[in-house]
Amino acid sequence: MAKKSSRHKGRTGKNRGWFAHLKRYLPLLFVGAIFFATTTVALRVNQTPPICANSKSCTSDLSEKIENDATGMFQGEKVIPPQITTAMASLSQPPVLGANTTSGEKHIYIDLSTQTLYAYQGTTLVLKTLISSGKWAPTPTGNFHIWEKLLATRMAGGEGAAAYDLPNVPYVMYFYHDFGLHGAYWHDNFGHAMSHGCVNMRSVDAKVLFDWTDGPSGNTLGTAVSVCDQITDAKQCVQNNPVQ
Amino acid sequence: MTIRHAIEIDTLSLLAISALAGIVFAVYSNHKPNTRYSFSLPVMQAQDSTLTPVPSEAPVLAPEVQTFSQVSPDGTKKLTMTVTVNKDASKTYAFIASDAASANQQSIYEATLPATENMGIPFNTWSPDNNYVFLQQNTASGSGSIVMKANGEPIAQGQQYFDVAALFNAQNTGNTYQETTGWASGTLLIINTKQPDGTKGPSYWLEIPSKAIIQLSTQF
Repeated sequence: MAKKSSRHKGRTGKNRGWFAHLKRYLPLLFVGAIFFATTTVALRVNQTPPICANSKSCTSDLSEKIENDATGMFQGEKVIPPQITTAMASLSQPPVLGANTTSGEKHIYIDLSTQTLYAYQGTTLVLKTLISSGKWAPTPTGNFHIWEKLLATRMAGGEGAAAYDLPNVPYVMYFYHDFGLHGAYWHDNFGHAMSHGCVNMRSVDAKVLFDWTDGPSGNTLGTAVSVCDQITDAKQCVQNNPVQ
Repeated sequence: MTIRHAIEIDTLSLLAISALAGIVFAVYSNHKPNTRYSFSLPVMQAQDSTLTPVPSEAPVLAPEVQTFSQVSPDGTKKLTMTVTVNKDASKTYAFIASDAASANQQSIYEATLPATENMGIPFNTWSPDNNYVFLQQNTASGSGSIVMKANGEPIAQGQQYFDVAALFNAQNTGNTYQETTGWASGTLLIINTKQPDGTKGPSYWLEIPSKAIIQLSTQF
């Protein structure tokens, strides 16, 4: 027994060095490493794709682009884009919409169930029109603010027969990543889903909305945009799983 | 069980627990519970919309002219419909295409229909390139549409317009025409259909120059 105790004692003494401490905490370090590795792998597997309405152009840049000599492509058909001139930017002019209502917060509501856009200033409805929301990719629901206004830009994305490449997309009002309100010159099927996630409008409607909305300025957010799955008869904006 | 075995079991247990914890943590951090929010819009002060309605029944007592119009998506053109109520309660529908400011007017279609039938200008009447317009017709036999050139020229040899429903139904696709929703491009009209059992059928394109009917994989 004494011999045994002596041997145990000897071993304990040996473990008093730094190696003994390392050996003691090694399992914990190992567990931590495994936890980190598993978490990383699981997150990567479960990773959501980038939030993007225009899979090709959204990753490059979202700046203004005016390409008056370019041709577009939508649903396999060649499209002639409209000519864009900087004179079309009438930001300095008085807004067409809400000209008689000088007060009140501006707020845009989109009812995806009826494909209808409502623009309010205070309690005054200043524009109601049909839109085309996402057909090939959903338009995100939620409450947003316009974060960028561009007179025109190029939008491109999709694969195969659904590929599109559209220069001079006019009157772009981004409200969530590269999801925006904008004019659509390549189709006239408003009132039906027809986009890759953005909110398409007739160019004539997009222009008046563009002139009326505010982009962010200093600490002030841009015009509010609420995308609703449905607006009920009781004027309730219903949002299922809003992204924000 | 030896000490070595015990250590190995402990180690394996720790590994399993840490891996499980990692997965749980990762799933939880990506998990977003289903949520449903609802909030009120401002009380609307009703204002005219940009929609052009199909005209309602007009009084028969006195001749009356109603006018409706729809601008093209780019705002440069306008299609105007005047509805004149005749003494026998029938209505005469006249359609004029023009510039947005009403210059360069061109009569493109006129028809007199019994009181039980009507015509209208759909919201998506103009093709995106402003070359064509389509009109809605509601008759006793159902709704239909006709498509024509916006400059008044014949759409085909000897034809001023195409009857969209007639063209579609002549193809014997097995589905029946329901409505024309709008334009997929400058020459492609979108048609919605019904299946024989009454449920929604596939959508089709009518390719104007060739009169081809093309079935789509999606529904509008």
